[in-house]
Amino acid sequence: MLLQIIASGLLLGGIYALVSVGLNLIFGVIKIVNLAHGDFLMMAMYGTFFLYTVQGINPYVSTLIIFPAFVLIGVLIFRLIIKPLLGKAETEVNTIIATAGLGFVLQNLALMLWKSDFRAIETNLTGKSYEFAGIMLSAGRTWAFVVCVAVAVLLYYILMKTKVGTHVRAVSQDTEAATLMGINVNKIYTLTFAFGIALVGLAGVILTPTFYVYPTVGLYFNTMAFIIVVLGGLGSFTGALIGGLIIGLIESFAGVMASAELAQVFSLLIFLIILFVRPQGIMGKSARV
Amino acid sequence: MGILALVLLVVYFLPLTVFARHILVLTLFYAFMGTGWNLMCGYAGRLSLGHAAFVAVGAYTSLLLFSHFSLTPWIGMIAGGLVAVVVMMLIAYPSFRFGLIGPYFTLASIAVAEIVHYLLIYGRDLTGGSLGMSLPYVKETTIINSLINLQFDGKEPYYLVILGFWLVGLLVTWKMERTRYYLEAIREDQDAAAALGISVNKNLIIAACISAFMVAIGGTFYVQYFRYIDPYSIAGFTLSLNMALVAVIGGSGTLFGPTIGAFLLIPLTEILRMTLGAQIPGLHLFLYGILLVVCIIFLPKGIASLPGIIRAKKAKNDQKPENQASKGVL
Repeated sequence: MLLQIIASGLLLGGIYALVSVGLNLIFGVIKIVNLAHGDFLMMAMYGTFFLYTVQGINPYVSTLIIFPAFVLIGVLIFRLIIKPLLGKAETEVNTIIATAGLGFVLQNLALMLWKSDFRAIETNLTGKSYEFAGIMLSAGRTWAFVVCVAVAVLLYYILMKTKVGTHVRAVSQDTEAATLMGINVNKIYTLTFAFGIALVGLAGVILTPTFYVYPTVGLYFNTMAFIIVVLGGLGSFTGALIGGLIIGLIESFAGVMASAELAQVFSLLIFLIILFVRPQGIMGKSARV
Repeated sequence: MGILALVLLVVYFLPLTVFARHILVLTLFYAFMGTGWNLMCGYAGRLSLGHAAFVAVGAYTSLLLFSHFSLTPWIGMIAGGLVAVVVMMLIAYPSFRFGLIGPYFTLASIAVAEIVHYLLIYGRDLTGGSLGMSLPYVKETTIINSLINLQFDGKEPYYLVILGFWLVGLLVTWKMERTRYYLEAIREDQDAAAALGISVNKNLIIAACISAFMVAIGGTFYVQYFRYIDPYSIAGFTLSLNMALVAVIGGSGTLFGPTIGAFLLIPLTEILRMTLGAQIPGLHLFLYGILLVVCIIFLPKGIASLPGIIRAKKAKNDQKPENQASKGVL
């Protein structure tokens, strides 16, 4: 029983981590809070849903369509909305308000186009589970977990070993110094934003086989993603992974022992304590406050 | 302020439709809430997106006191305000103590509102959980009794009540701005204010508490006016965001900013909802979202900054020939 709770907690945590990786990237590099993060997730879930029901494309294959599409959307949103707001005294407040407005737009676009019905797809993985040493693992979530680990490894490689990754890290640490070194900050910002949005698109694709899709599904994941990002530490991907796993474990333990609401309250309280005591997060290097 | 209040008082006597009155009540309600929000967030430069927590605390306190002990909402709203102040202290003290700023503060405020939201659902024996609570309806014959119970049949009395609240809110902000709390100085430059011997943290906490008290009173008004509350509508993110939006779009950190924002946004959303909401659900909020984004991009300091911008542009145009002349001299 204990192992079962831990296993399902870890799987859930993997999904949360995957959802928050894109947010972490944007938050860590451009230093803006993207409140529409969960709504991009929702759009990707709808995209996957319709690609499957209308075109019959397998959810995991639709990544090949959703990912590039979301890169384009990311570039567009950055150029149109985020860039005009950067570099001013009110940048912080205004980007939060603007992305909240964007969230309104996306949620209500979904409501207009697809109504508020709960939708779900059935794939060959639905309802299936793997048994491993007496522990039952939901098939869909297991695959989501695998993808999450793969993405984390890939991102780590890109950020640490490639030239673009070095540029991104430089911009994240000191924008001015990076500019002086001849790095095109604007280009790095655009790239980071687009990639962050594409990552949340990928998360949406992976989530669709195991979660319901409805216009406000993003709100649920939004809070969770922010908790995980702060918990793990800004810009730290191992942190995001650990943060996701911690929250997943808390939820599955508290969900079994108390109630679902108390589980949420408990993870929020931990989040607040971490914010007060260690705002750089568990894995964050230094406070960038 | 006096002129504006007089105009709004005259509006009371105009023969308006029920819908128009409803819009006016809502507009003043959000003007009041935005003013309360602004007191802490506009001046201190800390964006709270969790003020619904205090609205919910105020609303549930007065409603529970009324339905269990038949206590008049007038006392209930003070009680709710005090509970909200306690909750605010719990969050504001550590926030300012540990220097939580920027997005970190915003996230903490969202978390507090979410905690209140989930606790309201969890305490379903007392609060009715997600199903919410209705205000027990008391059929009153005398005007004194309806005044005591703060329940009226028409919308006109509510208009007067919220008009009064809003005026008091503006007066409090005005007083806080000018007098010994030095909010204006703190807003302009926190470090400079501290260097001049102003205890920034103490003043900010006082402003935060008054802010929580005000929106909690707004919460009681919400219960009395709508006669029904549930955790989603009163402790949810949408209410928090709306309070912040009227203030930011109008011009946060200014006395009239939230009011200007409310008078622009609220009638617009309500009219859009009325005309489009029934045909295509979601269209009005879709347009509202686009409007917000456009407003923020083109007027980052809010509508209240518009006269300043126009003046600056005019001055620039006037100065141009002089500049060239002075260059020639140099």
